[in-house]
Amino acid sequence: MSIARDLRELISYRELVTVFARREIRARYRHSLLGAGWAVALPVGLTLIFTFVFARIAPVDTGAVPYPIFAYIGLLPWQLHANILNGSVRSLIDNRSLVISVYFAREVLPLSRVGSACFDFAVGATVLVGLMAWYGVAPGPGLLLVPLVLCAQVSFGAGLALFAAGGNLLYRDVQYVLQVVITMWMFGSAVVYPIPETGWFIWLKYVNPITPMLDAYRGLIVGGRWGFDPPFYVACGISLLTLVLGWLWFRRVERRFGELA
Amino acid sequence: MSEPVMRMDSVWKRLRRRAEVSTLAELVSGLPKRLTARRDEDGLRDHEFWALRDLSLRLMPGETLGIVGPNGAGKSSVLKLLYRIFRPDRGSVHVNGRVTGLIELGAGFHPMLTGRDNVFINGAILGLKQREIRRKYDSIVEFAELADFMDMPVKNFSSGMYARLAFAVAAHADPALLLVDEVLAVGDASFQNRCHEWIERTRRQGCAIVMVSHQMNVLQSASRVLYLKAGRAVVLGAPEAVIERYLGDQADLTHTAEHSGDDGLPHADLLDADGNVIVESPAHVPVRFRVHVTLREPVKGPVVALDLLHEDPRFRVSTPGANLAQLSSFGTLRDETVVGATSFEVDVAGLHLPVGRYRVAVTVRAHDAFAATIRNENALRFEVVRPSESPSQALIHLEQKWRLCAASAAKAGQ
Repeated sequence: MSIARDLRELISYRELVTVFARREIRARYRHSLLGAGWAVALPVGLTLIFTFVFARIAPVDTGAVPYPIFAYIGLLPWQLHANILNGSVRSLIDNRSLVISVYFAREVLPLSRVGSACFDFAVGATVLVGLMAWYGVAPGPGLLLVPLVLCAQVSFGAGLALFAAGGNLLYRDVQYVLQVVITMWMFGSAVVYPIPETGWFIWLKYVNPITPMLDAYRGLIVGGRWGFDPPFYVACGISLLTLVLGWLWFRRVERRFGELA
Repeated sequence: MSEPVMRMDSVWKRLRRRAEVSTLAELVSGLPKRLTARRDEDGLRDHEFWALRDLSLRLMPGETLGIVGPNGAGKSSVLKLLYRIFRPDRGSVHVNGRVTGLIELGAGFHPMLTGRDNVFINGAILGLKQREIRRKYDSIVEFAELADFMDMPVKNFSSGMYARLAFAVAAHADPALLLVDEVLAVGDASFQNRCHEWIERTRRQGCAIVMVSHQMNVLQSASRVLYLKAGRAVVLGAPEAVIERYLGDQADLTHTAEHSGDDGLPHADLLDADGNVIVESPAHVPVRFRVHVTLREPVKGPVVALDLLHEDPRFRVSTPGANLAQLSSFGTLRDETVVGATSFEVDVAGLHLPVGRYRVAVTVRAHDAFAATIRNENALRFEVVRPSESPSQALIHLEQKWRLCAASAAKAGQ
């Protein structure tokens, strides 16, 4: 079966994913003033802005959780999502000379951008530890379930990354369309404010996998929750489906990359 | 009987002259046209052409296949199909083992990272495990002769160093099939020699090689040569026969171009001592070669080189870049600058070469340029004949003057 063969081939290139991800990370951090600081600059900056807006100007109710922590737990995974999409959409174009001159499983390029986005996420997570210590907020036992949420989020991101990278090679304006989509998506995902309990928004939880994922992060880390609610399971299903379809589609269009790049 | 390394079975490859749709906006606006577009009887839509038609090839371990043909014949498409950058539209391509291409060397290098980092990255791209690269690292650095530079970002490398490092990594990938596009113009002469030595050693170890070249002396060293034209195999066979056929076709083209008066390629004449154009000359008589060329741009310090190539393969030197005989103006016209219709002449005391028919390839370039500015593989044909007075059947007739020496003569007289 050719799908099995392609999958085996992809797995045989797993080392190259880490090599490329490391290349990205090293090249980015070695020659920049802030070094690893870039990974946290954006979520920290956004947290400061939204803290000013939602804690001072138009206060929102975040329960017992201090707003900066509430916002940061939303912004850090959101930034991971945005970085995965922004990074992967150009991954094939940026490595055009490789795509037209060397053969390897092309999935490696978008997937390595997913990897480097995860690295930034890990760096950003250290700030969260500091932030929680500062406010004296202790994590609940739900913290142990966070890796599952991360897994679901990364599968979703990886599936979209394959669509975005392949799509941008076929149609070069996909990257610009994606910019607009990401900006609108952020405001439709309840990143910096609590999910409304009533109204049409509750349906969005079932359609937009990011919303229940952010909700799960918050509930598990600082909300004292243990376990998941139905929208999260739907999100997991959508994520898995996105990953499978993304890969099947990518491997179909991949045959033409050498001519299109 | 061992298995073929590579098998191509009636491969057809369709390419587009320009991208039909490259943005989402075009996708939407071009939809009605796409839906109504019909393929013609050749199976092609607008802007499409067959880059390769019904090509079948087999290559055994240790074999070298040369590919020759005019521009756009499909040579690069063959390499890309073997490298899986292109997939065939019809037919199939099978390669048994790893393919390494010396095509775009160093494509995966990251300028900001050090030579060392890039060795590991490039090795991984070529399919080596990190563990293997660690084992071969010292040998790679030694091959590239860059031991002192491995901690420097490659953006600070000279282009020669860059290419050397890239070649060194590729040379350590243990390919079953090696793809070489054009002659390797990397590094200095000694590095080039080592590259060619490495290619030859790898071939002896059972690696099959496919090389594309316009340099006939490089193709001479192949086991077989494929002549491609407009995507079709014209002929596949022994280098001699195929190259003659190809050059014959090219000569026809050159001839046609001569009438239009501006093909710009160098041509040569052979003249005798009286200035008459001749086509054959005894080995020991003084002759003169005259090269005519039309230079579109000024050439500073022109270097004119005539490679004299014997038709008998026994007199071909298999080392690329080396010939049985070469005349070169290197170092003599350095201060001259020439443009437009130009002639050069070179006097030769005698063609002390093996008798037989010769082809002359002429190159004209600037003294500081590496690539040939213009080259005509078929600038002249002439024949070296036995001197009429010579009783010898030898192949080489040296100019000789005999005399009896006084001392010996005295002894003989006693």
